[in-house]
Formats: sequence, C-alpha cells, structure tokens
Amino acid sequence: MVTINPKIETKNLNVWYGDHHVIKDVNLKIFEKIVTAIIGPSGCGKSTFLMTLNRLLDLNSDVHVEGEVLLDGRNIYEPRLDLIEVRRRIGMVFQKPNPLPKSIYENVAYGPRVHGIKDRKVLGGIVETCLQDVVLWDEVYDRLKDSAFELSIGQQQRLCMARALAVKPDVLLMDEPTSSLDPAATAKIERLVRVLGKDYTIIIVTHNMQQAARVSDLTAFLYLGKIIEYGDTRSMFEKPREKLTENYIIGKFG
Amino acid sequence: MKYQSPKERVLPYLFSVPAIILILASISILLFVGTGGVLAINWEMVSKSVLKGGIFEPIVGTLYLLSGTMAISLPIGVLTAVYLVEYAPKGRTNRIITQAMNNLAGVPSIVFGLFGYSFFCRFLGFGISLLSGWLTLTCMVLPIVIRGSQEAIRMVPKTFREAAEALGASKWRAIRDLVLTTAAPGIATSTILGISRVAGETAAILFTSSVFLMRGLPSTPFDPVMVLTYHIYVLLVTSPSPVLDRVFAMALILLGLVVVLNILAYVVRLYYRKRKRW
Repeated sequence: MVTINPKIETKNLNVWYGDHHVIKDVNLKIFEKIVTAIIGPSGCGKSTFLMTLNRLLDLNSDVHVEGEVLLDGRNIYEPRLDLIEVRRRIGMVFQKPNPLPKSIYENVAYGPRVHGIKDRKVLGGIVETCLQDVVLWDEVYDRLKDSAFELSIGQQQRLCMARALAVKPDVLLMDEPTSSLDPAATAKIERLVRVLGKDYTIIIVTHNMQQAARVSDLTAFLYLGKIIEYGDTRSMFEKPREKLTENYIIGKFG
Repeated sequence: MKYQSPKERVLPYLFSVPAIILILASISILLFVGTGGVLAINWEMVSKSVLKGGIFEPIVGTLYLLSGTMAISLPIGVLTAVYLVEYAPKGRTNRIITQAMNNLAGVPSIVFGLFGYSFFCRFLGFGISLLSGWLTLTCMVLPIVIRGSQEAIRMVPKTFREAAEALGASKWRAIRDLVLTTAAPGIATSTILGISRVAGETAAILFTSSVFLMRGLPSTPFDPVMVLTYHIYVLLVTSPSPVLDRVFAMALILLGLVVVLNILAYVVRLYYRKRKRW
C-alpha cells in the first residue's frame, strides 16, 4: 500500500436520515488511480456513504451530513464551493442503469453539453472515445440516434459509464453497478473496472464479495454505518483482522 | 355457481340505472344539438359576418379567447407546478397553496366573472376587453393546469434527475432538460383539458370580455370580442322569437370544439404513453 496523499478523505463523517444515524464517524482515505471496494450487508450505509462523496445525497430532503469530505484536500461541504465542478470531477454509475430519455449519442453528449461544450465535432469525438472506452462503440456506432432504452440492460449500464466518463472525471463512484445484470454483462463491467482503474480513482460499492475480490485493490468493510476494517483486498479476504469481517466474508451473516 | 342472495343479484342492475341515464342523456344531447346544428349549419352562415346574418365573428372570437387564455395560463401554470413540486418546502405552506387551488377550482364561474370585472376591467382599467377575458379565464383554468402539471412532474422518474445532477447539471438545468421534457405530454394534456373546460364558459366572460354585437373582430387585446356562448345566450334570452337555426349551428360548433379538444388531449396522451420506455 502506497502512502501518498489521498484523493478523497473523509473526516468524522456522520449522516442522519431524520433521527436515523446511518453513517457513524467514518474516517477513510481513498487513494488515487486504484480501485477501492466498499463491502457490507445491505442497509449498512454503503450507498449513502458513496452519495456523500459527490453530494448527491443533497437531493433528498431530511438528510443531515456532518464532518468533512476532502477532495484533493478541499472540503466539498464547505459553503462557497462550486458543486458543479465537484460533480464533474466525481462521476457516478448507479445501481440500476439509468439512461436519460434521449438517444445513445445524446446520453453521452449530455454531460459535456452541460459543461458548455457546443462544437459538434468535439462532442462527436468525445462520444466516440467514451463509447470505445467502455467497449460499446462497436455495438452501437451505426445506431447512435436510437433511444438509449433500445439497448440491453448490460449495454445501458456501459452507456451510463461512458456518460460518466464524458465529463473527464478523476473519480468514478459505482453503486453496485452489476446488481441488475446477468453474469455475462457483469463480467464485462468488471473487466472495465479493472482497466479503468488504472486511469481513474474508482470506488465501487458491492454486496458481492467475490466481485470485490476480483476487481479491487483495497477494500473497506462497512457495518452498521461504521468502517470495521480497511486494507489490502487480498489480505482482508485471506486473513481478516476483525472477527466481524471474517464472519461476514465466510457468510455467517449478510 | 356461488350462491348469491337475491339482494346481491339485484344490486348490480339497480346501480346500473344512473349509468344508463347518464349515457342516454349524453346521447340525446349529442343527437338533439347535432341534428339541429347539422340541419341548420352551412358554409355560408359560418363564413358570413354577424351583421349579415352569419356567425363568423363569434367563432373566431372564441378561438381568440381560448388561444390567448392558453398562452397565458400554460407558462404560469407550469412555473407554479415546478415551484410547488421541486422548490417549495414540503410543509404547511405547500399544503395551504394546494388546498387553496383546489378550492379555487370549485368557485362558481359567475364569481370569477365578478372578480374579473371589478379587478381587471375596472381596477386595472382594461375595460370590457379580450385581455380581461383572457385573464379571467386564466384564473379559472390555472387550478386545472397546475394540478395536471404537478402530477406529470411527479411522474418523472427520479433517476433522470439524479443522473443529470451527478454529471454536474444544476437543479434548474436538470428540471429544464429532463423533468419538463418528460412531463410535457402530461402538461399539454391537462392544459388542453383545462381549455376545453372553459370553452363553453359564459358567466365569466359575460361582463369582462364579450359583447353581443360589434363591427368585425377585435384588432387589439383591448377591444371587446364576440363569443359563441354569449351570442347564443343573448339570442335566446332577448329576442322574442329567436332564429333557432343560428343558435343550433353555434351550439354545434361549440360542441365540436370541445370534442376536438378532448380527442386531442387523448391522442397526445396515447401517443406518448406508447413511446414511453422507462
């Protein structure tokens, strides 16, 4: 494990939904250009944690966040911050593929358009590169004008990844990106995560431990809103330090 | 077969009676006005000025009145709905506004007419004019447009907004690009239905906007206008022996207008429901 400056660091992060305390004092350092998995049983706050990192949690009312999330050392919860720029730098892929009700092309071009790119040539270039990055280009290059809903679920999820990449983020948050996919589509996404993990800082939430083992370099085990264990993926799966982690990994609960 | 008590067996028939009455009533209205109108109507009458015994100005005047009302109520209604659903804090104020709006929908149209007369015509000095009519009818249509738009906006999957905002779109940008475009058919439908509701309105324009006779069509929004409903009303009430074929012709056109609007709303909804893929 390299000890460089973290890309993202949370400091005493706490989240409440109303009175329900979901994230409890989480201090976590996420390192650049590696894949970090967050595992844990459902309802333990994995997705909530992920959505605090790009402040998408703000969309819900009745949510209260305390503590800091530092992106390259700067707190993204500070009042006068450019949220749009933060969201550009931290992309997100959701649990269920959520293409926009637009064409395949427009789905990828939407982000760049939002950030002010108007030139059609530039947009076309971005669309092609991003679709190639997610290995979707060859499947869709001749029907870019079709609705994104014409694609299979697996293709939709890769389209959503391309859409996230199109705004040139540094970080990619992935919230159980394969939970609604079949094994073949899952394998494709996992391969992508491995490849993209060399260029992007990826944080992937999953309840599938084999997946965490396959794709990630570091793993954090989150249980009831607390980080129980965090470290090198292989050693965590082979030799967990905590009893709780071991019980979860061998399937005693979850 | 399952045993049913005699009461259980009779009740369905009993309950169907009002439904049958309703159907018969609407069929007879259609037949009555329809045959009367069809027998009376001809192109010459439709295209000729009222001054020469035609009904041209009231037809076009009605269209003026309705299209203006639509143009005013649509943006106001949509903005209000967006505000109520997306921006206004969900609390007592929101509930009070919504409740006030529902009550507004139940206010008798003559009251709207009185309000329009005293506020738009007198207080704001618009006089008996197309503009006063637009504004008065807008007050009547708005609750329908707003409620329909609210529904349509709420139906837009939350995932669209999430996806857009996660890419860095501002809240308004996401609403504009995704929520409004997705809700557009629903908004259009409710606006058309609202307009068809006031197409036959008489009381609200009685003293705000319409006159029985004038030369030609209004040339500015500050001119009064001749309208089908009001024209029918005056013909029936004031003349000792009304010329019924003109009345029937105008009633038929009015009926046709409402039917067309309703069909239009239905078609819009159907077309987009078929295309909807999420």
